[in-house]
Amino acid sequence: MTPDLTPATPVTPARDAAAMGTRATAALFVRLKLRLIRGNLRGDVAKQLGFVFSCLAAGVVAVLGFVLFALLRLAPADVAQDVGIVMFTLVAISWIFVPLMAFGLDETLDPARLTLFPLTTRQFAVGMFAASATGPWPVASLVMLGGGVVAMASGPGGVLIGLPAVLLQFAFCLVVSRAVTTALSGALRSRRGRDVLAVGVVFILVLTQIPSLILNRGLPGDPLELLAVTAGVLRWSPPGLAAHAIADGGLAGVAEIVVLALVVVALAWLWIVALRRALVMPDSSNRGGGAVRRSRVAAFLPGGMLGAVVAKELKYARREPRGRINWFTAVVVSGILMFSMRGQGDYDGPALVIGPVCLAAIMMGFQAANAFGIDGRSLWMNAVAFATERDVRTDLAGRHLAHAIIAVPLLTALSVLAAVTTDDPGLVVATTATAWGLLGVTLGVGAVVSVLIPYTYPERLNAFTGAAPGQGGQAFAATFAAMTGTCVVGLPIIVPPLFGFTAWAAVAVPYGLAVAWGGRRLAASIGYRRIPDILAAVSRPA
Amino acid sequence: MTEAVRTQGLFKRFGQQVAVAGIDLVVPRGSFAGLVGPNGAGKTTTLSMITGLLRPDGGLIEIDGHNVWADPVNVKARIGVLPEGLRLFERLSGRELLLYSGQLRGIPVDEVGRRADELLRIMDLVESQDKLVVDYSTGMRKKIGLAAALLHNPGVLFLDEPFEGVDPVSANTLTEVLRRFTASGSTVVFSSHVMDLVERLCDWVSVMDRGRIVAQGPLDDVRGERTLNEAFLDLVGARGSGEGGLSWLGSATAATGDTT
Repeated sequence: MTPDLTPATPVTPARDAAAMGTRATAALFVRLKLRLIRGNLRGDVAKQLGFVFSCLAAGVVAVLGFVLFALLRLAPADVAQDVGIVMFTLVAISWIFVPLMAFGLDETLDPARLTLFPLTTRQFAVGMFAASATGPWPVASLVMLGGGVVAMASGPGGVLIGLPAVLLQFAFCLVVSRAVTTALSGALRSRRGRDVLAVGVVFILVLTQIPSLILNRGLPGDPLELLAVTAGVLRWSPPGLAAHAIADGGLAGVAEIVVLALVVVALAWLWIVALRRALVMPDSSNRGGGAVRRSRVAAFLPGGMLGAVVAKELKYARREPRGRINWFTAVVVSGILMFSMRGQGDYDGPALVIGPVCLAAIMMGFQAANAFGIDGRSLWMNAVAFATERDVRTDLAGRHLAHAIIAVPLLTALSVLAAVTTDDPGLVVATTATAWGLLGVTLGVGAVVSVLIPYTYPERLNAFTGAAPGQGGQAFAATFAAMTGTCVVGLPIIVPPLFGFTAWAAVAVPYGLAVAWGGRRLAASIGYRRIPDILAAVSRPA
Repeated sequence: MTEAVRTQGLFKRFGQQVAVAGIDLVVPRGSFAGLVGPNGAGKTTTLSMITGLLRPDGGLIEIDGHNVWADPVNVKARIGVLPEGLRLFERLSGRELLLYSGQLRGIPVDEVGRRADELLRIMDLVESQDKLVVDYSTGMRKKIGLAAALLHNPGVLFLDEPFEGVDPVSANTLTEVLRRFTASGSTVVFSSHVMDLVERLCDWVSVMDRGRIVAQGPLDDVRGERTLNEAFLDLVGARGSGEGGLSWLGSATAATGDTT
């Protein structure tokens, strides 16, 4: 996946490079960025489609953002100004966080790749700046910010100040985003830093859900007043200054864009300092790596292969960022579902209690639909030890047991929470039993899916794909199969309680156990013969 | 029957490309055998098929007389494997990795603990035994991988490039352990590019090139009067000579400057 750099990097002796002007440097880096984008897409239809889709999305955001922003002109001037200030700030914030979450999608983000080229610091900074401005999304946000001029400018002065204000705001976004990624690049390159960041991404995703949750429950007070207060505070942030300058259009506006320009220059200087440091600092955070505590849990586990697998799985759920994220997401999403479903309608019944907890059980169980994926390239260690079908069955049983050890208490807690918050504590038992049963069903179905459609998890987590390059189809098929299978097999235990026949929940746990057992048996008999194929499927370079 | 490993017409292709073209590999029991060959010769593919990690398209593989693909129960308990690429359970500590590997093979946990402690001491990994494997250096990973492969006392040990990227101190530890292992009558098969090392350690050599075995036998028979490196270059045919092209390279032409 290393893009071919040769065509974009001109074979110029060092003395010429040093003489290269600002514009030539910028043009060179823009070309490099475009080459990288193109090289990344070469010969990969899925990526090409993804890029086309991304471009279309950026186009839609640009046009829609511009039009909607411009339509603010129809609102009263002070409201338009307040919304403008908030919007400018939001754009700047997303410029800080989105590149962090998607780190690795953009080669030009890693300055370490460019250190060996004979470039002066100024050329380096200009080039990196130009490269970050290149691409569908930067252009989209520039167009969208342009809508702010239409929305807020009150006269020719506003337009005159507006154009530099928007450009400065855009520059501010780029420089801030660069400064933050550079400052964090040391941490991003270390194993621990990436682990922390991966979990942090989920927190940010959760944070984005909070406004909609609040809106669901009704705002605490007058929305316009809230807007005015927010804008009053944000007005003094650099993006707020830019927005206010456009709306002001007078001398105060000029002063504000001068301040903004100074802020941008200061940030750019900080960024260059951080860059210089980052390029020569050793990657110290990788050394050592703390020791882990020896687990005492093992004493309570059965010995032999089963206990070994359970202990390993429990450790992975805790230590592997992907494991932590999966469990964290499952709990948080079910919590959000529980509250947002509660907010609407007057309907009150067992479905409102049982439904969300069942969804939680399914979400938790789905992690088991690619059971061998989490082992990835290390699965050979199991493969060289598994001599019989029984070994594969024991392995799956260990994974299921570990899964249940985490999921059963969580589901119980969720059930209690769901039943108590709806003032229907009588449903606790039925809800818990149904959720446990359903967990068993997802595990059983997941075991079969795991041996039939295994795929590699990508090494680097990102929000856009859950599979290694080229295996998107398998991942989709596996998810689809797991979903369909769970729904069909789980139907007999979900439907009656949802419609109020809660006594039926007594059947759920034995049913779930039976499905899990049957799934393991079937999966083992298929999987034993497919071990080399599974191994190849989960060991793809990612 | 004195062969630890024997294949007959072992064959594997990936799409159009034939990776292993029907080889008859033989390794006598108790030998320290080297599988050498240039990149892409099919060494890793061969070792993967012999250890049951990759399904062959044709041919027969026997380890101690047991068919690998028909009788895995008897084979898997007898072999230890260190595959290429240091693929280990990254989020276990070194000690946990050994315990896991041993328990997976049905060794009682007390016994696994005892053997793990000894192996960790011999491999000089006691200080880092509670660190996660993901934080290990290349040499440490090779050592912990070898320890995991030795834990169940296999009769035949397969190592794919065990010395690649290993510092001299770790390499010395690895060779000491392997020497002791073969001295007791067990068999080691390892692949390598490093001819000096193979010449120093091995008593049996199989040379692979483009999916075929081009020479096989006791070290002295294969190399004859030459060094193993010379014999190897003769066998695989040194491709591409140092002459011609690159006329601009080197200090002599630097004064003339840019030659583009």
